[in-house]
Amino acid sequence: MEGIQAVLVNVARLLPRLTDGILVTLEVSALALIWSIVWSLVLLPLRMSSVAGVAQVTRGYVELVRNTPLLLQMYLLYFGLPLLSLPLSAMATGVLAIGLQHGAYLVEIYRAAIRSISRDQHDAARALGLRPFTAFRLIIFPQALMRVLAPLTNQSIVLVKDTTLVSAITVMDLTLVGKMIAERSAASDAFVVVAAFYLALTSILGLLHRVIEHRYAQRT
Amino acid sequence: MSSVFFANLPYLLKGAFYTIALSVITIGFGLALGTILGVLAYYGPKPVKAMIAIYVFVFRGLPVLIVVFLFYYVPPMWGFNLDVYLSAATALVFYSAAFITEIVRGAIGAIPLPQIDAARSLGLTTAPMLRLIILPQALRFSLPPLLNNTIMSIKITSYSSVVGVWELTFAAREVVERTLAAFEIFLGVMAIYFLLCFPLSVISSRLERRLAIPSFA
Repeated sequence: MEGIQAVLVNVARLLPRLTDGILVTLEVSALALIWSIVWSLVLLPLRMSSVAGVAQVTRGYVELVRNTPLLLQMYLLYFGLPLLSLPLSAMATGVLAIGLQHGAYLVEIYRAAIRSISRDQHDAARALGLRPFTAFRLIIFPQALMRVLAPLTNQSIVLVKDTTLVSAITVMDLTLVGKMIAERSAASDAFVVVAAFYLALTSILGLLHRVIEHRYAQRT
Repeated sequence: MSSVFFANLPYLLKGAFYTIALSVITIGFGLALGTILGVLAYYGPKPVKAMIAIYVFVFRGLPVLIVVFLFYYVPPMWGFNLDVYLSAATALVFYSAAFITEIVRGAIGAIPLPQIDAARSLGLTTAPMLRLIILPQALRFSLPPLLNNTIMSIKITSYSSVVGVWELTFAAREVVERTLAAFEIFLGVMAIYFLLCFPLSVISSRLERRLAIPSFA
């Protein structure tokens, strides 16, 4: 009992300092999620383009960011952008880097969803006299959207976990706040509280993922 | 442009060697631990299953960087002063193994039940059935996701640089701080990581198509 009490006292003592970090983590997560979706919607038509070279170049980009560590991509922007006279804030740089990578992952999710819809559906739509774009808009897209929702939620869990990396480029998110408390006041248990918060956040998203998967899995 | 990169290439390749060593440790121990836990999560007694479920939930739910920090800050609180390489490697192994546990458990679950009935009716006991019937087929299902996990493991070794493990990403930062050539060095180092990871992702997507068992779908 005393152990639990001690932990609760600790949490109460640390909470005010951690709150600022939590807010930054939530802000970075939300901004990075929005930016990665926007960026993925820019990449998708390029990736599926039939113009010579466009799809290949886009694929090169997608493979490059998916097969190198996000931390390195973040360092590239953080140390590189000022050299191009583009001094973004550390937070903006972090959000930019996360979106640039996760946008690439999202594109592959969309492509898998579009491919999973049988070619017959497309042919049937065409046979009914729909033009290719109308067939996509009315037949393929709504079904693909259903199949995208669950993996999209899953990807957002990875994204939230990846926001911890902004701590490596001086953004005062929950990870960096926890690290500073742990180092300055030798209160290493602060990190256990930090970990519990991340676990709670990803669990909530995990629950959402399961609900979505359950709702949309059978219909498609 | 690239002269700065090539001038520092020997140093960076030394870093790449540490990255590869750390990756091999992470993947090797992760596979061993994950396979054992994955099999136990399917066939083990109830309390063992519950403990594995908690382990998987915690380690898959936490960001890697947080796991690395936990293994860095928490053991000293209990009086264990681990070497930073050991603490980072342990963190990466436990993180990676949690994913492998799920892959193995899922692969075993994907084997149709009549296979087990058939094995039993041939008189096989649990151990030979696992060795001869279940695991070879489970391996086939799990190879592509295991390869993807290997790519993830290589990439996350870079996170250990944050607690002071000297490897490729750490070496890259040192060189950039000395030369200020952020683009040449970081892009060059990205190319090194790409050369390590991309072949695996090509193999993974090819295997996914080749190893699929149509009748099981």
